[in-house]
Amino acid sequence: MARCGGDVSRHRKADLETVESLCQGLLDDVMLDDDKCRAMFGYLQEWPDLASMCHSASLLGEPPLAPEASNGSGSSGGGGGFRKRRPDSCLEAKGKSNSVCKRPRGKQQPCDPDQMAAVVGKGKTERARAGAKKKAELALPKDSPATSESTVTAGQKTDYIHVRARRGQATDSHSLAERVRRERISERMRYLQELVPGCNKVTGKAGMLDEIINYVQSLQKQVEFLSMKIAASNPVVNFNIVEDLFSRQLSQAACNPAALAAMAPPIGQAEPSCLQMSPLQQMQTPAGCPGFGLEMIVNNNLFSLAHGGSMSAAAAASVPAGASVESCLNVHGAAGWDIGSQSLFSGFDAPFQSVQSDSLLDNLKMEM
Amino acid sequence: MSSRRSSRGSAAISEEEINELISKLQSLLPSARGRRGGSGSQAASTTKLLKETCSYIKSLHREVDDLSDRLSDLMAGMDHNSPGAEIIRSLLR
Repeated sequence: MARCGGDVSRHRKADLETVESLCQGLLDDVMLDDDKCRAMFGYLQEWPDLASMCHSASLLGEPPLAPEASNGSGSSGGGGGFRKRRPDSCLEAKGKSNSVCKRPRGKQQPCDPDQMAAVVGKGKTERARAGAKKKAELALPKDSPATSESTVTAGQKTDYIHVRARRGQATDSHSLAERVRRERISERMRYLQELVPGCNKVTGKAGMLDEIINYVQSLQKQVEFLSMKIAASNPVVNFNIVEDLFSRQLSQAACNPAALAAMAPPIGQAEPSCLQMSPLQQMQTPAGCPGFGLEMIVNNNLFSLAHGGSMSAAAAASVPAGASVESCLNVHGAAGWDIGSQSLFSGFDAPFQSVQSDSLLDNLKMEM
Repeated sequence: MSSRRSSRGSAAISEEEINELISKLQSLLPSARGRRGGSGSQAASTTKLLKETCSYIKSLHREVDDLSDRLSDLMAGMDHNSPGAEIIRSLLR
């Protein structure tokens, strides 16, 4: 950003007004978590005391604590909210001059964990500290290290985001808004960082983004995998659906293990009918573990189907159910399991070929 | 780590790469799934995107937990000696 060595103090009030209007608009965008939101807005109301306090001191190690104490009556959310913005601005102030940095950072350390913990509601002091530090570093990409003063916020402001226009910094509305936006982004990145495990090793936007992307992908795969397993192992079967699906699938696919695998999940439940194809397709492309898992699932399916058949027959003892099981298995016994035998069901042919007799249920029970 | 942003000129990681990563992330998010073949998907504001990623990750967490619970319940209900249960158990390990 351009470094106009203007007289910041003169511009202060004007800046503040623009900042105020900007921040009002920007505030609407802020979609923080609930606790953060509450904290933020509470903070804004309680601002005046704080502003005067921090205004007086260039480095705000202690002052933040004082109004907090005096603000005891104020909602903790408000105080917390105030605290929340505090470290950001403090860090910015600190970050400006390296020499000054160390001390306030040291001072700030004790309060940071409390503040962050209070707001975020987590007791991760480490993260807060690291995050705070990082924020200081992240927050000043283009700042002149020579700037020492933190200006801004004369008295008033009952409703602002505390943005500090640094001396020597461009103080026009654009850069200020830009900075606010940047703050938000890094704040969100920090939050994401704590969500995503292993993100602490890599810092820097691109690395973190990469990690986050990988993590999201792996989570998605995990969810699909788990739901497939549940679908596979849940013996709740609506046999009519299974029949229909089977007939369709069988007609489509000859020796396609993919299609056979596609048949498997329908066995499980009626509900994952929506997710039959897509998770399968997605799971088949990675030929590694998920494929293996799929095979296992399919094998498991056969067992569970037989299992379910015997269970339902034994428990319900309803002839229609038994009959449908028989018919289902008989219809698909030859075709389905033959297909299976070629690829996946090498080990399981024998039990199922014997299924085709009329004493189906007895066979099933024996198999079990 | 601080050296990455040491000076404005030498951006170790270019803006473009970051934007690319961001768009990739956006494509992962469920909100982007509904987009038809329209090539230019609107560049959602980064903050909104990050926020959405946060909530998406949280919901994925919840879903994984939920599914795991269901699976474990199923496992408890199933016949422990059946091969299917064995398979599930081995997979979960």
